[in-house]
Amino acid sequence: MSGSLIIQQPGNSVVTDLGRFRGPRFGLPVNGALDQFSARAANILTGNDDGAPLLEITALDFRMRATTDILIAVTGAPLHLTVGGRECQQWEPVSVRAGETVALRRMTGGLRAYVAVHGSVEAPVLLGSCAPDTVVGFGLRLTEGTELKTSRSVAPIRQPYFDLPLFRLGLTRPEFSSQAVVEVTDGPDVDEFGDTAELLFTTDYTVSGRSNHIGLRLGGALPERQSSAEVLSRGVPVGAIEVPSREELLVLHRGRGVTAGYPVLAVVTSRSLDVLAQARPGHTLTFRKTTVPDATAKHRAALRELENLRSTVSTVFALLGIGSRPGWSQLAPAAGT
Amino acid sequence: MPAPTTPTPVDVYESGDAALRVVASSPDPEANWSTVHALAAWLEAAGADGVHGAVPTYDSLLVEFDPGVTSARQVRAFVLLGMQQIDFIGAPARAAREFSVPVVYGGEYGPDLERVAEQQQLPVEEIIALHIAKSYVIRCLGAPAGSPMMDGPDFPVPVPRLKDPRLSVPAGAVAVAGRQAVIAPAAAPGGWCVIGQTPLTVLDAAAEPLVPYVPGDLLRFRQIHAGEFADYAGRKLEAAR
Repeated sequence: MSGSLIIQQPGNSVVTDLGRFRGPRFGLPVNGALDQFSARAANILTGNDDGAPLLEITALDFRMRATTDILIAVTGAPLHLTVGGRECQQWEPVSVRAGETVALRRMTGGLRAYVAVHGSVEAPVLLGSCAPDTVVGFGLRLTEGTELKTSRSVAPIRQPYFDLPLFRLGLTRPEFSSQAVVEVTDGPDVDEFGDTAELLFTTDYTVSGRSNHIGLRLGGALPERQSSAEVLSRGVPVGAIEVPSREELLVLHRGRGVTAGYPVLAVVTSRSLDVLAQARPGHTLTFRKTTVPDATAKHRAALRELENLRSTVSTVFALLGIGSRPGWSQLAPAAGT
Repeated sequence: MPAPTTPTPVDVYESGDAALRVVASSPDPEANWSTVHALAAWLEAAGADGVHGAVPTYDSLLVEFDPGVTSARQVRAFVLLGMQQIDFIGAPARAAREFSVPVVYGGEYGPDLERVAEQQQLPVEEIIALHIAKSYVIRCLGAPAGSPMMDGPDFPVPVPRLKDPRLSVPAGAVAVAGRQAVIAPAAAPGGWCVIGQTPLTVLDAAAEPLVPYVPGDLLRFRQIHAGEFADYAGRKLEAAR
């Protein structure tokens, strides 16, 4: 049975997924959930594929009402989550009954939260992804009254002991800090900055309010390019750190233009891009140098943690009869006595 | 132009844990361009697990991959294998199409025209004349939104990028920087010098692909007057032949 929900207070929310991986070859940024770990976790906690469409909520309060019984999970930045007025846990599946309102308020510590719904939500697709692209004007715009359809409804799961969370799946939640450390590897053009490249690792940078999904602008001591030769435009990776102006450091995120002509000083690791996604204006960031093999190892360790979560969730859901596989409650009773 | 018959050597650089930059390093820009585009096509066609795709530009190629599935080391080996496999002889010669682009130069349409003229130490008319003088090969699709990136007009010296990039440049902006020229298909921030604007619609977000040209196609600019801008409103950029 399908389900649906209605947006009551959109705040700053979009329907997105892990990104438009076929985009860059056509000149479109990858986009997609900025905090990929939190987005994957939300989908896994609701029994979806990692890349299923889900809601990304940035900074502002958000409310939606379930019109059918649904199962959701909220991950990402710490906030005050209530369902039908009851306080609920983030990073756990939460059963929502038809007519109940889900409210996300007072996001603190981080900047982005994710709401996944079991059975996902329907959204238009461009080049294999529903991720909004602000430059080409693609994406589902959420306003008050927008109805989102989900492919599955989940009957309420009853918790006999009032006020206790339904699930305790034991995922190690990411830390959210106003003084985060961001790991980077040397960029392909690091030599162009000479000795000033070291400033990146000895400076406390402040996140500017002009930061967005395209890139974070950081104030602080700036490494300076030693030559002024013009660079031919070339593809730049997500996470590229550039010094395009004399004012700020620019750290490109998933909405970045795929080509640029500025030298790449350093590149933020996949794991630390999630940290940047949660950095609020005014927060302080410091950079630490790592290597590509170490960065890859950390990324894979995070993925293994998500795989463990997936296997726990699938066991629990199978027992409760949620998802595609029949659970014990759907099995025919044994015949005879 | 005679097509090169062998790929030029390439260097491969780390670009974080999820990308590599491949740079063709011969002194011949034409051979470098052919090499990185042929390599990009090979990588797309071969389709290794975990490789998202390749972004070829002038002399370089960004190869993006999923570090959870593959690694920089494996993708580097894949790229080097591609270099042994690509062969320009026998590559299908796709007929280049040509696009004609009307442009209003200067004033509110091209706020940096005078700056460029001053920097080149040429009269404004001469800058326009050089910009419309030749047919440009579209070298690659860039940011924003599949911009046609071209070798620039034959200006005496390279054009510096703006010291502080604009927060928004309108769709249709015709710009130059360094030794390059471009049209912006969609509004976006930009650090290039905007010398004019075309009234044509370049980007069709409802179509796939979103832009009508591919690398290798030709593009020519022609000057129109500000009074004619509105006459073209809503018309799409289409190949002339």
